[in-house]
Amino acid sequence: MTDFLRIILIIVSFLSMYFIITRIRKSKVQIDDSLFWILFSVLILIMSIFPAVADYLTFILGIYSTVNFLFLVFIFLIIMKMFLMSIKISQLENKIKELTQKIALSEKFNEEEQRKGS
Amino acid sequence: MKALIVIPAYNEAESLKEVVTTLKEKCPEYNYIIINDGSIDNTMEICKKYGYNVIDLPVNLGLSGAFNTGIKYAYLRNYDCAIQFDGDNQHDASYIKPMLEELNKGYDIIIGSRFTNTRKNLTLRTLGSSLIEWAIKITTGQRIKDPTSGMRAFNKSMIKEFANNLNYDPEPDTIAYLIRRGARIKEVQVSMNERQSGESYLNFSKSIFYMFKMGVSILILQFFRKKDSIAKISHSKEGREKR
Repeated sequence: MTDFLRIILIIVSFLSMYFIITRIRKSKVQIDDSLFWILFSVLILIMSIFPAVADYLTFILGIYSTVNFLFLVFIFLIIMKMFLMSIKISQLENKIKELTQKIALSEKFNEEEQRKGS
Repeated sequence: MKALIVIPAYNEAESLKEVVTTLKEKCPEYNYIIINDGSIDNTMEICKKYGYNVIDLPVNLGLSGAFNTGIKYAYLRNYDCAIQFDGDNQHDASYIKPMLEELNKGYDIIIGSRFTNTRKNLTLRTLGSSLIEWAIKITTGQRIKDPTSGMRAFNKSMIKEFANNLNYDPEPDTIAYLIRRGARIKEVQVSMNERQSGESYLNFSKSIFYMFKMGVSILILQFFRKKDSIAKISHSKEGREKR
C-alpha cells in the first residue's frame, strides 16, 4: 500500500465514521441496526491505520495485492448485510400484512356486531 | 356444512356486481365474502351500495394477502370449508356445489380444473401450466392437470393451515408442498369464461416471471420447508368429528 493511499484511507475512514455516528444520533436508529455500521467504520479505520494487518492477511491468503484483499472483505461484508436486510424487509412486509388484515377483520367484526345489536 | 366463498377483488368494479348476482342466484345456500384489496376504483362504493358482504383492506396486499384475509375470516368465524373464487367473472358458480360435494368425500383440497377431461391445446399459457404440472409430478408423484386454476375449495384443516402460517399463498407451489405433506387433493372438471373486463394479474413478462418463481419454488425451495404430516391432523379425532 502506498503512503498516499494510506493517508487518503485514514482521512476517508475518519470522515465516514464521523458521518455514520452523527447520522445515527440524529435519525434515532435502533442500537442493533447501528452496531453493524459502527463496526464497519472501525474496521476501515483499523485497516487504514495498521495496513500491516491487511498486508499480512493478504500474504497468508495468497492474494495478489492488499487492495484486492480489502475489496474482497468489504464486498463480502456488504453482501452479508444485504442478505440480512432482505430478510428484515421480508419480515416487515409480513408484519404489515398481518396488521392490515387485523385492522380489516376487526372492522368487519365490529360492523357485524353493530348490525346484530341494532 | 358452513361454506364460505372468498372473492378477492382488486379493481373489479365493472364485473363484481354480475359475479355476486349470479353467485346469489346459483348458490344461495353458501355465504360469500368479498375482500376489497385496496382498490383504487369504486369497488368499495359498489359493495356498500348493494350491501355486499365485504372486508375492506386499507392497503393493497396482492392476491395472496387478500385471499388469506378471507381464509382468516373463515377460520375465526368457524367455517367448515372455503372456496377461492375470482371477482372477474371467469369462474362459474354452478360448479361450486359439485366441488364441495367432492370435498366432503374426505379431500383436503378440490381444484376446479379445466383439463381433467379435455386436453390442453398448446398456447403459451398452457405451456406454462404444463411445466408446473411436470414440476409437481416429479416432486410429489401426483398429477395436477390444472395447477394454476384459481378456483379451489379448502376443508377445515386447510383453512386452519392457511390462516395461521407464513408462505401459504394460494398458488401451485403451496399445493405441491401440501401434497408432500400428505394432503389429499383432487381435481373436478369445470369450465371457465374468458376474462370480460379489468386487467389480469398476469401479462406476458409477469407470466414468465411467475413461471420462473413457481419452478424454482416447487423444484427447490419447497424441499427446505418444515414438513409435519397433514394426514395426522385431518385424520385425527377432531377432523373426523367435523366431517
